Amino acid sequence: MRVVDIARKNLSRRKWRLVFNLVGISIAVAMLVSASVISHVMEAKVEEEIDKLGANIVVTPKYEAVSVSYGSIIVGESTIQENLIEKIYTIPNSANIAIVSPKLYGLAPYGNGSLLIVGILPENERMLKRWWRINGFLPDSNRNQALVGSAVAFSLGLSSGATLAVNDMQLTVIGILNETGSIDDFSVFIPLDVAQKILNKPGVVSMIDVAALCKNCPVELIAQQIMDAIPEVKAIPIKQAVHMRMEVTSRLSNISLLLASTLLIVSCVSIMNTMLASIYERIREIGIFISMGADDASIRKVFMLESLILGGIGGFLGVGIGLILSLFINPIIIDISITVEDILYNTEWLSVIPLSIATSLVVCFIASLYPAWKASTVDPVEALRGGM
Amino acid sequence: MIALKNVSKIYGKSLQVVALHNVTMEVEKGEFLAVMGPSGSGKSTLLYIIGGLLTPTKGEVLIDGVSIYKLNPRERAKLRREKIGFIFQTFELIPYLTSLENVMVPLCFSKIPHPEHEEKALKALNLVGLANRASHKPSELSGGEQQRVSIARAIVNDPSILLADEPTGNLDQKTGAEIMHLIKRLNEEEGVTVILVTHDPSKAQFADKVAVLIDGQIMKIEKLRNLEEEKFEG
Repeated sequence: MRVVDIARKNLSRRKWRLVFNLVGISIAVAMLVSASVISHVMEAKVEEEIDKLGANIVVTPKYEAVSVSYGSIIVGESTIQENLIEKIYTIPNSANIAIVSPKLYGLAPYGNGSLLIVGILPENERMLKRWWRINGFLPDSNRNQALVGSAVAFSLGLSSGATLAVNDMQLTVIGILNETGSIDDFSVFIPLDVAQKILNKPGVVSMIDVAALCKNCPVELIAQQIMDAIPEVKAIPIKQAVHMRMEVTSRLSNISLLLASTLLIVSCVSIMNTMLASIYERIREIGIFISMGADDASIRKVFMLESLILGGIGGFLGVGIGLILSLFINPIIIDISITVEDILYNTEWLSVIPLSIATSLVVCFIASLYPAWKASTVDPVEALRGGM
Repeated sequence: MIALKNVSKIYGKSLQVVALHNVTMEVEKGEFLAVMGPSGSGKSTLLYIIGGLLTPTKGEVLIDGVSIYKLNPRERAKLRREKIGFIFQTFELIPYLTSLENVMVPLCFSKIPHPEHEEKALKALNLVGLANRASHKPSELSGGEQQRVSIARAIVNDPSILLADEPTGNLDQKTGAEIMHLIKRLNEEEGVTVILVTHDPSKAQFADKVAVLIDGQIMKIEKLRNLEEEKFEG
């Protein structure tokens, strides 16, 4: 028999006390686990969303006469001189600039209504919008070719190879865009220079989408640098919206972490309390141990091991409960749906498991320090005489 | 060999109670000493001091030539582990452990390798005739059986000294006598030095020598026969 067996057997003697202590620790650990899992998975999700947004800086003319709403982005009638674009590559953080995609928007009359014409540098736009699924091909620069949004294609009955006459210019449809759920579905994408001719706006663009690549990108800084380099434009970091969402996420997970740490402290105090009480209860037992030749270290060991066993079991239970919580309950509390797949495909949170169990062990270890010390200073003679 | 030199124990600070006063005595190896005296005479205090559990206010306790209160607490614990076995009036078994586990408790705190524990404990249980009760909890045993388990626990480390504090106090006459025979047998067959604290002359007669303790002072240490005679005279 080892000292740990004494600890184990004493624990199993008082089943309800064990259960209550375990409930405390495992709930605290569960909170810790679910908070960490959720924040890990949500961070990954938000990052993915940033990726989907493509551009994270929108460059528009500084002074806008009349504003036209293009999705969430306000685009004015005023324009940016095309030759200013390359100045973007002169900013100090130019290394972080991945894609620069200038665009020219305009409405062209077509039949009884009008078409939204978007002039693009096809390759650049393609890189920016990785989620595009094209039936057919991208237009070539300089050629009268068009990539048509799904809604336009549907309402005009267009398919690949069809021709589209806009402002006396014949455009060949060479690609149809799959539905994107965005304004792109209602747009006709043509090469920038062709658009400038059709819309009669030579040498200018409406706006420039800029994608700055880096995980902890100082987007605001890059936007500011662009504005410094080109005084005629306004650069808006659109990551701000995403950022805010991220902040909400981290605030939520911070609240959960705070709650979890509070619970951990409470369960630590409660374990300490139970252990102190049990020392008074087991005072004779301690006296016997000492008379049997246990030294202070052995007595401390008995109590610390009990606490560590609690911490270990509580940690494992807590991890289990926490994972279930983060799967089923957190998505209800936090308004982002997290699926089993999200959790399974994101392995970053795996480190949460050993960390949580370690936290539980450390908390229980700390909780046992004072009671264990107290037990080791018991006077064996007074203990055996039945008092303290 | 156990030797006490001018051992005094005073409890309390403002209101001092003298439990032992200048006790000097020797117990030879293999000897069986009974310490008798009325309650409050300091018998148990004497036993705890010899067992290294209670630091005397004054004086020295030597076990095999080592002054045990000059050792640090850990060395003293080691000495208890290796040389001393305690038996108590109320058995003091751990309620949630079986007989076998109770006997193994002292081994837990020792350096004896873990795989040998069970064998040693079974041997000790066998010696007290309780091998068949190994898996019973104390609550499932009679008083006499519990005391046997506690004796097995006291001897499992092969100590050279057995300190018994009123071991038969909670037992009926017949069971008490059985326990005394067992202790006597350990003394004679295993060569264990026994110090027995009792107020019952019928138990003291198992000893070779009897020390009479009154108000913390050894009044006399005599051979058993002398005591018996005095008792008749008194």
